[in-house]
Amino acid sequence: MRLTSSILGLLLSLMVGIASAEVVVVVSVQNPVEALSQAELRDIYLGRMNRLPNGSAVTPLDQREGSAAHRTFYREYMAQTPAQIKAHWSRLIFTGRGQPPRSVADDSAMADAVAASPVALGYLDSAYLDSAQVGDRLRVVAID
Amino acid sequence: MIKPDDRHGHSESDDSAVIRRWLHRLVEPVVLFTVVALLVLGVIWGTTLNLVSMERAAADRTAMALVADTADTYEAQVVRALREIDTTLKLVRYSLDGRPAQEALEELRSRDMLPPELLFTVSVADARGNVIASSPEVDPSERNVAEYDYFQRAHEEEGMVVGLPRRNRGTGEWQLFFSRHAQVQDGGLAIIVAVSVHAGYFVSGYEPEVLGGDGILALLGNDGIFRVKRTGDVLTMGTPVDYAGVVGDGAVGGDATVKVNPWDETRRYTVARGLFEFPLTIVVGLSEEEHLAAAKQSERTYLWYATLASLMLLAVVTLLGRLSWRLQRSQTRIMEERVAHARRVEYLAFHDNLTGLPNRAYFTRLLTQGMQQSRRYGKRLALLFLDLDRFKAINDSLGHDAGDELLQEMGLRLNASVRESDIVARLGGDEFVVLLPEITDASQVTVVADKILAAVSLPFTLVAQEFRVTVSIGIALFPQDGEDEQTLMKHADVAMYHAKELGKNNAQFYSEKLSVDSLERLALESSMRKALENDEFRLFYQSKQDMFTGRVTGMEALLRWQHPDLGLIAPMQFIPLAEENGLIVPIGRWVFNTACRQNVEWQAQGFPPLSIAVNLSARQFLDDHLLQDIKNALNESGMAPELLELEITESMMMPDMPRTVRILKDLKRMGVRIAIDDFGTGYSSLSKLKEFPLDTIKIDGSFIQDLVHSAEDRSLTEAIIELGKSLSLTVVAEGVESIEQADYLRTHSCDQFQGFFINIPMPADEFEASVREQLLRLADDNPSD
Repeated sequence: MRLTSSILGLLLSLMVGIASAEVVVVVSVQNPVEALSQAELRDIYLGRMNRLPNGSAVTPLDQREGSAAHRTFYREYMAQTPAQIKAHWSRLIFTGRGQPPRSVADDSAMADAVAASPVALGYLDSAYLDSAQVGDRLRVVAID
Repeated sequence: MIKPDDRHGHSESDDSAVIRRWLHRLVEPVVLFTVVALLVLGVIWGTTLNLVSMERAAADRTAMALVADTADTYEAQVVRALREIDTTLKLVRYSLDGRPAQEALEELRSRDMLPPELLFTVSVADARGNVIASSPEVDPSERNVAEYDYFQRAHEEEGMVVGLPRRNRGTGEWQLFFSRHAQVQDGGLAIIVAVSVHAGYFVSGYEPEVLGGDGILALLGNDGIFRVKRTGDVLTMGTPVDYAGVVGDGAVGGDATVKVNPWDETRRYTVARGLFEFPLTIVVGLSEEEHLAAAKQSERTYLWYATLASLMLLAVVTLLGRLSWRLQRSQTRIMEERVAHARRVEYLAFHDNLTGLPNRAYFTRLLTQGMQQSRRYGKRLALLFLDLDRFKAINDSLGHDAGDELLQEMGLRLNASVRESDIVARLGGDEFVVLLPEITDASQVTVVADKILAAVSLPFTLVAQEFRVTVSIGIALFPQDGEDEQTLMKHADVAMYHAKELGKNNAQFYSEKLSVDSLERLALESSMRKALENDEFRLFYQSKQDMFTGRVTGMEALLRWQHPDLGLIAPMQFIPLAEENGLIVPIGRWVFNTACRQNVEWQAQGFPPLSIAVNLSARQFLDDHLLQDIKNALNESGMAPELLELEITESMMMPDMPRTVRILKDLKRMGVRIAIDDFGTGYSSLSKLKEFPLDTIKIDGSFIQDLVHSAEDRSLTEAIIELGKSLSLTVVAEGVESIEQADYLRTHSCDQFQGFFINIPMPADEFEASVREQLLRLADDNPSD
């Protein structure tokens, strides 16, 4: 299972390219983090890591399941299909080993939530970021 | 096998003997190896089978423990999950109070009080089944849930309803539904709160490392319908089963049992345990085959190793067995050989190699025994000493192979001539001895002696030719001829010599007188050796005269021995002895030299050339140096070879014809003359006679003796004369003693005669005088000469 998902992930990332322009990963400007590796991003969002490399805590946030941003993020950054995500969290939750990231309603809610917390990590449509007035409160995190 | 019933009244020693016998058999390599091999095989297979069963048992136990543990964990997890769902239902129900449902849900959601949206959908439906609120949003096709079982049952049941699994019309995903009814709102209609979750959630904890690919993790409703069932990666929802069959009496805390799961006919270690709070049963299973596969694998490995080890063991044991068997065989062979060898050595120590008869050593012992027996029972015993006559002649002329053949045949004939209880032995050389125990009368011995003489007289076939041999037998009787072995044997020996002296081919009993004679003989022998040195031998001469003219044509030199004490000894008394001890050769040499020298001397004194005849004995004839000795005598004396005549007896020539012819030819080549002496007394065939290069034939005196009175002798004599004439030989008659005989011979054309009538043998000087006188007489009669 894990092998299959890794291969799939690699294929997807090869096909699509690492950093797509549609969805960006953001943190609060209060958060010193400027870059993360894709592996780190995955670990955080899959509940395997709850601390950043520098040791500070991190709280990932999800957008609603089914939303475009959610789909795009998981497809391009996480290289996981919705089924895979569900199975992953199913097991973790059922066996009591973790909780999925809290989900927010939309880009706007995400922006507010992330900006408000120095430990939050989120993602939103880059278009929104450009258009909204939140640019000064949020920083885009470079994912490599 | 030992049968106890067969051994009534056995003694202790029988028991221990039996035990020892069995122990002995046990130690035998074959048995030992087999037993050891079986033991080791037993150990190998015992250990292996033990290991195998232990593995099985261990695997079994592991499976049981694993399933039990997993079941415990799963139970806890399921219960927690259900409780969380139930708590959510209650919470939503509570917060609905007096508010629009959607609002309530939104608030709960914003406070993070709802379960993760990823998996759970919380919904509220009105009495008619319309979903009035949900988080997250439900698919439009799911807007009405009136016909769903969880909706309907919620109205009836007090506790949480565990609905049947359903496929979401929108997403296609299988989901499970849990519901409760909320309090009746104003209007009197009930509201139903529900939580749906994707079915896989409840079996997401399936670990392939633990449950394998064919295990089972399932949630079974108490209504006999599986809510969700997972085997490997395969999920099935809604399978109906016979609840009682699956669960059995597995109440709370039931143990794992191995049984066939009816839904997929797989044997599994199964725990089916009903939950306490909820109408659900967890089913956890581990495929027996899958789980035991590893154990079976190592089982097979063990069995394989055991088989290999067994085969190797068998090979080794077989090899060892074969080696030890071969070793044993060769050991046995060596032992047998040793025994046979020891027997052979013993046999050889006591038996003569050639004839198989007892040898001297053994015989002496037998004689002692025989004498002891005779002494005890007062019986008499006879000892017969046998000596083959002229064995040396045969051995020398025909070779040792023929001599051996003769001895072997001799042994056989002797044995055939005596009884079983009589003993025949070979003392060595050509000497045999016969022991006759238990004799009552001397006449019995004579019978045996005659038998032996008769048996020996039959012809022998040696080297493909027929020969006749004779024995001389000397007999001594116990106890009269000796009380001890040495005396007895000595006296038998003396008797045998006496038999030889009496002409051989006869048997003689011992008498006291013989001892004396033999003493004499011994004395004679010892002095004979010195006789040659002391110049005690003399040659006497006997003339041969021409039948018609009466002239002396030659002479025969005859050997005499002038013994200082015994006086003049005749040849017959010492020549046989000389033959036996070989002194005849140097004596013969002396004879040649003396005869030749004497003749030459006489010639120097004016005698006409006269032939001189010398008798050759058998031994001389076969001696290697004969020719050389004669040559030396002729050369040293200067006598012309034609004057020398060698007289050889008929019987001397016959045994080895080719050799005789060779020797005679060699002699003839030297120029000497050959005469055959004592003709008519031997057994020669006339056809063979013409093969020999002869000059003279001498008729034996026995024919001449009775010539006048015996017609037979006359015809024989005439025949011999005729024979001699036809072969162009000079015929000489021996022993002519009367005028009548001389006249007769003359009439029948005999050439020469010799005998007392004319001249007796006389010493040199007398002979010289006699011849001189004759010559004068003849000169007077025939003045022309």
